[in-house]
Amino acid sequence: MTHKRVLIIDDEDDLREVARICLELVGGWEVSTCGSGSEGLVIARDQQPDAILLDVMMPDMDGPATFKELQRGEATKNIPVILLTGKERPADHANFNELGVHGVITKPFDPLTLSSDLFKVLGWPP
Amino acid sequence: MTLADSQGEETRPQDQVLALVAQIWEQGKDKIVARIDTLDQATIELLGGRLEAGMRREAEREAHKLAGSLTTFGFPEGSRLARDIEQSFQADSPLGPRDALHLSEKVVTLRQALEREATQPASQPSSRPPSTGSRLLIIDDDREVIDRLSADAPAKGLDTEFASNLAAAREAISRQRPAVVLLNLSILGAKAECLAFIEELARGNPPIPVLVRTPMDATLDRVQVAKAGGRGFLPHGLPPPLLLDAVCGVLGQKETLPAKVLAVDDDPQILDLLKGLLDPSGARIMGVSHPLEFWNALEDYAPDLVILDVDMPEASGIELCRAIRSDPRWSGLPVVFLTSQRDPETIHQLFLAGADDYVSKPLVGDEMVTRVLNRLERTRLLRSSGETDALTGLSNRQQSARSLDQLLGLAQLHSQSFCLGIVDVDSLAEINQIHGYPAGDKVLRRLAQFLHGVFRSEDVTGRWDGPQFVIGMYGMTKADGVERLSQLLESMWWEVFTNAGGFKFQVSCGAGVAEYPANGTDLTALSQSAHQALMQAKSQGPHRVLPAGWLPGQEALSQKVDVLLVDDDETLSSLLLHALENRGYTTRWLQDGLETVEALGGANPTIRASLVLLDVDLPGLDGIGVLRRMAREGIVGQTRVIMVTRRTSEEEVLTCLELGAFDHISKPFSVPVLLQRIKGALRMPKGDV
Repeated sequence: MTHKRVLIIDDEDDLREVARICLELVGGWEVSTCGSGSEGLVIARDQQPDAILLDVMMPDMDGPATFKELQRGEATKNIPVILLTGKERPADHANFNELGVHGVITKPFDPLTLSSDLFKVLGWPP
Repeated sequence: MTLADSQGEETRPQDQVLALVAQIWEQGKDKIVARIDTLDQATIELLGGRLEAGMRREAEREAHKLAGSLTTFGFPEGSRLARDIEQSFQADSPLGPRDALHLSEKVVTLRQALEREATQPASQPSSRPPSTGSRLLIIDDDREVIDRLSADAPAKGLDTEFASNLAAAREAISRQRPAVVLLNLSILGAKAECLAFIEELARGNPPIPVLVRTPMDATLDRVQVAKAGGRGFLPHGLPPPLLLDAVCGVLGQKETLPAKVLAVDDDPQILDLLKGLLDPSGARIMGVSHPLEFWNALEDYAPDLVILDVDMPEASGIELCRAIRSDPRWSGLPVVFLTSQRDPETIHQLFLAGADDYVSKPLVGDEMVTRVLNRLERTRLLRSSGETDALTGLSNRQQSARSLDQLLGLAQLHSQSFCLGIVDVDSLAEINQIHGYPAGDKVLRRLAQFLHGVFRSEDVTGRWDGPQFVIGMYGMTKADGVERLSQLLESMWWEVFTNAGGFKFQVSCGAGVAEYPANGTDLTALSQSAHQALMQAKSQGPHRVLPAGWLPGQEALSQKVDVLLVDDDETLSSLLLHALENRGYTTRWLQDGLETVEALGGANPTIRASLVLLDVDLPGLDGIGVLRRMAREGIVGQTRVIMVTRRTSEEEVLTCLELGAFDHISKPFSVPVLLQRIKGALRMPKGDV
């Protein structure tokens, strides 16, 4: 059985690590991670993951900027992107959807349901 | 759980995840702390009016990150607080110093929330085993204290329940009566309501003992609470195991033998009514409807208390009472009158005859029961000692010394304050000479009755020596003692006595108060200090109460400030100094322990502070070292010290309190709470400076 592959782009090491563990152990994902948008662009192009989990608030290149770059790249524009964002800004969610992201998962996430949430947002059977 | 454990055959992936998440949390906690430090920094800059836009954005961002991750690590409360903080920084409106205090409060709460155990979403095995022990109702909102108490209580045979406000407490009590209540005074808003609540419990039927947890700075509260019937003051910061010891101590004090009451009234209906009222309290009533049968009944029944009707055909209650008082065997027996006349003259006659209390007819059940039970409670204490002063019914000197020693021991054990007061009737010899010995005796008895009335079961009262009476006040500071004795002296001042020739006269008294451990650590040293203070009070004029160590007209050769802050943390200090100066306090700031000792101590101190806020971690000499030096040089008696301790160190807290620190607060603390305590410490009456 081939595992679904996901790339997590988040500048917070600990949270990124928690997300990786959750997705690997609970959901059986194959996970790669990186801590900045610019790294993410390279890894996404080289590894062609099935999905990208992208944090919104990052220094230098933030989530939306990274997403726009991903959209501009031929090799990456078809990879579904899910934004990780704080739940306190509902207005932002609408903006993100307008941006064209595949979906949004709110932070803080429940470590035990992150994987099923991700499947749900992607519309894939778990 | 270690990683190896969690990867066993049977382990679910969920458990593995949670174990790993916990591990990541532990390893990465420093980063979280650094984020919170940024929030603190921004708050301090805000308070100083110099929060730049860049810093504000950074704080907002850090708060956002915390909000977005803490729940994941098992701290949902942390996420909520962080989101709150984020929104404050995010708002478009300009932020001011007032917002800074709110923010600092929230940041402290956030830190505290992260000290608690993480709640893990998937693991909730919470079936509490039923307990058969005594029920302890904790009225408090300090999660930490509640958690510790509920964890330790079963081992002591206690079953715990919590309520975070009065309404919830009443509800819990109506469901099941607790054996004892532990009440945090500071969570209750309205003081009057709170006192009424304590009184309701303490005088209930049967009474529920209320132990009161209170900040050290609330003088008046302590006095009022003692009056309402609250028992055992436990300072905030007393570690939970000691709190539980105190609770068990109160439970252990329960009296088992039923009290015996002899009631004399020519109306059998009244006797039936009395029985009906007092039976539920566990007291046994014997009714006598013919006054002439009274003496036989008294001898046979040997009651703990007598209820007398004032108006009876064959012999009036007043005559019976006089007769009781003239018999040395019964002179200490409490007498409560029933009277339909409440004019001052009749009441005066009752007390002259030696009444302890009276209840007016028609009988109001609660009042009657309360008054009778109050008297009984006191007599039992005296009876158990068996050594009372024949004239006044108070403990005699030997017995009071024993009781005082016991209280002192308890105070040492529980790191409580203890306060010894000596009250003295001025010129008793002259009163005896001019007005006759019976008149002098009347004065002493009246004073004893007031002592009965003012001081409750937690206190020891006794006849010490001739005109001197002694009062031991557990959990009270010198300031509390001065306050309570002042009330007593005021009552005496209004009292008018009549000698055998019908001549009316008034008396005056003086009092001195000493406190453990500042003025002595044993009874001899304390009574000497109290005696010296008494002599000083008398030299100042009548009706004076003075604390030990009082100095008249001390000259200020040194700089006098309200608050001396000793802390080497510059950011925190600037925050505190700013907040204090804004409130009109004069301040000084020192960063070194040795420097502090030199400034405060020695023959020529350069700083005299009303209050020292003393951090434990200091360069030069640590805070405890400074406090020890201050105690040795007697500065602690003149200057209040609030210690700033590390969060986890109970031992440190105990040491500080033993050395005479007035209060302590642990880091991280809430600035508004600290300001409140400082305010309280500076407001309390203090004769020392």
